[in-house]
Amino acid sequence: MFKKTPVAAGIAAFAIILFAGGCAVADAGKTDKMDKVDYTAMTPQELAEYLIFEANGFVLDQEVQEGGTTMQRMVQDDLHKACSVIGGGDPDQATLDAVRTAAAESITYPEGGIQLGDWKKGREIAWSGFGYRVGHRTDDHSKREVGGNCYNCHQLATDRTGGNVGPSLTGYGKTRGTSDAILKYAYDMIYNPHVYFPCTNMPRFGASGFLTQEAIADILAYMFDPESPVNE
Amino acid sequence: MFKKALLALPVALAVGVSANADSWQAPEDVLQGLIDSVDSNYLTQSEQNLIMMPDNPALWTAMDGEELFKTPRGPNNVSLEACDFGKGPGVLEGAYVEMPRYFEDADRVMDLENRLVHCMVTLQGFSPDDPEVKARHGSNSDHMKLQTYIAMQSSGMAWNPPLEHPLEKALRDAGEVMFYRRSGIADFNCNTCHGEQGKRIRASVLPSKDAPEEWTKAISWPAFRVGHDNVRSSQHRIRGCYWQMRMPRINPNGDASIALMSYWTDAARGQPAILPDMKR
Repeated sequence: MFKKTPVAAGIAAFAIILFAGGCAVADAGKTDKMDKVDYTAMTPQELAEYLIFEANGFVLDQEVQEGGTTMQRMVQDDLHKACSVIGGGDPDQATLDAVRTAAAESITYPEGGIQLGDWKKGREIAWSGFGYRVGHRTDDHSKREVGGNCYNCHQLATDRTGGNVGPSLTGYGKTRGTSDAILKYAYDMIYNPHVYFPCTNMPRFGASGFLTQEAIADILAYMFDPESPVNE
Repeated sequence: MFKKALLALPVALAVGVSANADSWQAPEDVLQGLIDSVDSNYLTQSEQNLIMMPDNPALWTAMDGEELFKTPRGPNNVSLEACDFGKGPGVLEGAYVEMPRYFEDADRVMDLENRLVHCMVTLQGFSPDDPEVKARHGSNSDHMKLQTYIAMQSSGMAWNPPLEHPLEKALRDAGEVMFYRRSGIADFNCNTCHGEQGKRIRASVLPSKDAPEEWTKAISWPAFRVGHDNVRSSQHRIRGCYWQMRMPRINPNGDASIALMSYWTDAARGQPAILPDMKR
């Protein structure tokens, strides 16, 4: 069931230690207690990892759209660990700098440079929340294109209602123009926004593989094309 | 007439109704009290729901639940009146706002749903695979009927989940870690949506975990979800959140879900529960 990730292996080893400890103190007759680990002997972090990965907390063996299993949706990478701050807020400056540096290294650009795609397709991608959901209803990527869910957090064109978790992007291209610098900035923000805002809430749509290069180009067109309703 | 019949349900508890957070109060009055006390776009976002609350369809679900609760059922042909929800067998008043809690007979911290499973299996003799135990969702499920009835007996009372037992504290603290734990293809955690006041996902105003008057409504389940046309539970809300976060399906019987619920209930401590609530 487990893939041999360092995190999973570490937790498994940890559980074995606890298990052995539990057996040592238990009466021989009380076998029902022997398979119970002592939650109170763990730190909150250790217990959370244990509950997620070892105590049947989640369905971890379902296949996911990007290949592999749901297990990897719970295993934290370096950014996840750095940006998970109890109580909210940001980690210290050194951690933020490290996140920013790693983000810069993660960004790749399309051959031939950053292009604007089809704003009409971009409009639908920006609106759609479809994609990568798993569990009781699993998104079938062969049936529909993956969306970017931009409207969840951003207002774009005013013909549809967007959220305000992120800033409004209404009139984006109209107010900022289409210089190489602003195109690169917008591309980077979609690809890996941690390069400018370390530990931001926004997903790394390019670095994570959530969106394709073509989808990113279409979203950029929606933001920058003078014909796009974003720039009305 | 409709309203009158429904109000008869908690009438025994409603004696001496006041704004005091340890006595029963109608859910619409609890919500109005919160709205009057703070400025919150989350609490006021659906005028229609506020108007509808006295006729909340979840009140019917609760009435069905009362019947189920008091009827001898299962292979052992006993009612749930012998089930201890933390305040003694059959005592429901104020029981739900003090859950999750540690139960010695199960040697485990349990939320309402898991406690119901425990009693249906150990007391009534149902098998865990019987539909009565297994079906958790939808207004017509036994679970939603029973949970809504039981929870309703705590309306207006302050959330006060016990943390005296070491396991209660351990799970609450692990739940806090889970709340802030980012992972997955979209890098989300619970705090992405519930860490700031006045934020919206599209048109929906989100409740903030750090605004207790909002958070009590956020965790006041069971609630009739208008968009789903069904009464929904805490476990259903958690399942939906992990689905939106692109994370795996959470196991409603697992301690991970109970840890998260222990944390979120603690975050609403002292605020009056709205039971049953109505949500978008």
